[in-house]
Amino acid sequence: MITADVWKELTSILPADHVQEQKTAETRYGNDGQVLVFPRTEEEIAAILTFASTAEKKVNVCGCGSKRGLGGTEDTADILLSTASFRGIKEHSVGDMTIFVKPGTPFRELQDYLASHGQKLPIDPIHAENATIGGVIAANESGPKRLAYGSARDLVIGLRVAYANGEIIRTGGKVVKNVAGYDMNKLFVGSMGTLGVITEIGLKLRPLPEHESLVLLSFPEGDIDDIQAFSEKLMKSRMEPVSLELLTPALAETLTGDASFTLAAALEDVASSVFYQEDYIRNIQPANARLSILNVEEAGAFWERFQHTFALDTSEQHQGTEVLVKIGVQHSDVLEVLKEGEREALCEGGHGGMGHGLCQLHLKGDKKQLADSISSLREAVEEKGGYLVVQHASLALRREVSVWGEPPAHFFLMEGIKTKIDPQRTLNPKRFVGGL
Amino acid sequence: MRRKKRLQTNDKHIKNLAAIVGEKEILFHKEDLTAYENDGFTIHSYLPKAVVFPKNTEETAEIVSYLSRNDLPFLARGAGTGLSGGAVPLNGEVIISLVKMKRLLNVDLKNRCAVVEPGYVNLTLTNSISDKGYYYAPDPSSQYCCTIGGNVAENAGGAHCLKYGVTTNHILGLEVVTPDGAIIEIGKNGIMDVPGYDLLGILTGSEGTLGIVTKITVRILTHPEEKKTVLAYFDDVADGSQAVSDIVSEGIVPAALEMMDGTAIEAVESAAYPVGHPKDIEALLLIEVDGISAGIEEQINKILDVCEKRNVRSVKVAEDEQERARWWANRKTGFGAMGAISPDYLVQDGVIPRSTLPQVLGRIREISQEYGLRIANIFHAGDGNLHPLILFDSRIPGETDKALEAGSACLQACADVGGSITGEHGVGIEKREEMRFVFSDKEIEAQTNIREVFNPYYLLNAGKLFPSPGRCGEVKKEEKAAASK
Repeated sequence: MITADVWKELTSILPADHVQEQKTAETRYGNDGQVLVFPRTEEEIAAILTFASTAEKKVNVCGCGSKRGLGGTEDTADILLSTASFRGIKEHSVGDMTIFVKPGTPFRELQDYLASHGQKLPIDPIHAENATIGGVIAANESGPKRLAYGSARDLVIGLRVAYANGEIIRTGGKVVKNVAGYDMNKLFVGSMGTLGVITEIGLKLRPLPEHESLVLLSFPEGDIDDIQAFSEKLMKSRMEPVSLELLTPALAETLTGDASFTLAAALEDVASSVFYQEDYIRNIQPANARLSILNVEEAGAFWERFQHTFALDTSEQHQGTEVLVKIGVQHSDVLEVLKEGEREALCEGGHGGMGHGLCQLHLKGDKKQLADSISSLREAVEEKGGYLVVQHASLALRREVSVWGEPPAHFFLMEGIKTKIDPQRTLNPKRFVGGL
Repeated sequence: MRRKKRLQTNDKHIKNLAAIVGEKEILFHKEDLTAYENDGFTIHSYLPKAVVFPKNTEETAEIVSYLSRNDLPFLARGAGTGLSGGAVPLNGEVIISLVKMKRLLNVDLKNRCAVVEPGYVNLTLTNSISDKGYYYAPDPSSQYCCTIGGNVAENAGGAHCLKYGVTTNHILGLEVVTPDGAIIEIGKNGIMDVPGYDLLGILTGSEGTLGIVTKITVRILTHPEEKKTVLAYFDDVADGSQAVSDIVSEGIVPAALEMMDGTAIEAVESAAYPVGHPKDIEALLLIEVDGISAGIEEQINKILDVCEKRNVRSVKVAEDEQERARWWANRKTGFGAMGAISPDYLVQDGVIPRSTLPQVLGRIREISQEYGLRIANIFHAGDGNLHPLILFDSRIPGETDKALEAGSACLQACADVGGSITGEHGVGIEKREEMRFVFSDKEIEAQTNIREVFNPYYLLNAGKLFPSPGRCGEVKKEEKAAASK
């Protein structure tokens, strides 16, 4: 139920068709709002926030809602602010290889646009389907190609951010190298919208590679230990794969039809270099491994299937029986984590970067089973010094298990930052680590 | 002689600090302190109260805790090569020198990371893992003597950050002594994306104002299979800058893409590492491509084509490692080389969108004429990081101030085209006022708010990075802070 004065105030900021009352009594994924607003400009965002903080209303922020299952223990806030209507490219300096975009721009649309200029944003977020660039940045998403290109935090050169009180702050700038003042960009990238609403994102770009291919190496059941040795050998060599992602047999079966542990080594460079690296891998491949090479189109289709497999269904119709967890460990522990995943009865598949240590597992089961599975996986990962984050789960489950794990000893600094920037805790309440 | 003298002090704080680090590890006599009056930014000098040399994290924490309890200002210092005055003891600080914490604690090749103490020298890391095929990517020109702790404080760059990124892209973990003496560990075992706000990101480049780093986990990389270096001479600086854009438009990401103008060339040719550059050209480009051997030739050919199209006078590829090393020595000693053609020089550190280079160089020529001072330009052209070197003679009354003003005007020129006032040297004390060229009072306050979270009593490295109180909200805050103490 929203009160008449909230409705009146919001419809004075926005046209009536950009304000919707949310009728659902209880939602499966939470992070909702009693009223949903679709601002179209930075000024409208600022006005909504100014109103909310003055009236002491809580605001959840989303793009297209693909990450509703990530973090948060609240069903709803007073207002759900969606950036979906605030989209488009503000400035693209082709020669400088920089772009400034509005947060609601769909990630796919942005990449397609850039491709028409022979450029790309070199991140391959796993949950790209239906994602907005703002969401990708707010969650600091990355994917298998992080090995070569880094993540969102390495690419953001400047932001405009609306603070909870409606003030607009610029961080960073328009240039690709900049140490003026604190590197404030970093605070907002990955902060899950708990510090401000990102209203503009400046990114550095890379040229599209002249050529690319994908080498798939699948390992028969008895030879799993070859994976580690091979990966180390390749990483130590002077080859430059942009991914070295290990797929569990279940995931490999979905993607390639072959139910064995499979390494996906993407190669991107001038053609002569790509062919040379393919040859190199062929020459050092373990005797029993099966090698196949996908060409540009096949590689593209492979990565699309990959992302589609992990597409997050956050619709109310969905049963909420699926969970994705992200696991961070040392590179040398990735194989162990994936083997652990294979042993786990609920695990539907997973993957991990042999050269960057980030893994993801897909679990399916009822709430109780999932909670048990998450806690036993977390225990195993923490024993290795790593962490586990529940990347996607129903609200009911998120209330049961800790999404982010125990906050670190220096949590007081994070809390201090939140308190300075959003003292009333207006934005995305309880969405992030330690209830930030 | 000296040892005896050390004990002669009535200052209880000196005695107490000496009790923590040992008598040999503290300096407090004026004649010993003068070397610490400034760092690589020599325009302003202030005497510290003392310099202490802790051996480990615990001693550092104990010192900080003591200083904090006793309301004494302090700051951390590495090799003192900083170019913006970040380690200058403006408030008579106790300097905590980290040069004796210089161990390489761990190298983990499997996980491609290394753990070092802050006093460990940048190039020493590369040298100690090079035989195994690895290196540490950030390479500021001072890398033979600057420390990785200092690199973290300044978020140091270097010639090769065009392709490989700056310090912040290579830091995986930090152990930090907070300004009240607590020890915290951010990130562990080089594992990425640990949940929470990105404190690694905010600490890196905070110029020693948020905490004192005592251990650093860095990413290490395998050496590229091959590198090739091209040297191109241009009669017209506009052709040179256009060539830079063209190379990038070809889809090539060079490892380095450096430019020097005529005045800079005159200096490097008169200094210790001349390589025989012609003296009548307007610009040279030093371009390095690295990566998979099979792909290098193709990229080099494209680069040569671009240079030809842009009317290059002559262009050559380094024949061997020796020639390449000579070209780089000539470039990397570029700042110091100014000493060969001018009694004094001041280096600035603006950043511009690459495409505005001809326009900004034109404006810098005007500034040079307006102030009657020669300005040489050394330029990380690939990422738009411009180093105007203002040549002056401090013996001539008023000329130092004129040089400072000319430097500030160059930064204004960068800010005017949407650029930044510093790309890798930091703000320090040098560019505090210029922060206003790029940030509003509110945006500066947003940053000082973060400082207050880490450094609430403002004893650690006060007076750096932000404009002096007077116009923005800082005044009120500092009064409040003073009142609440």
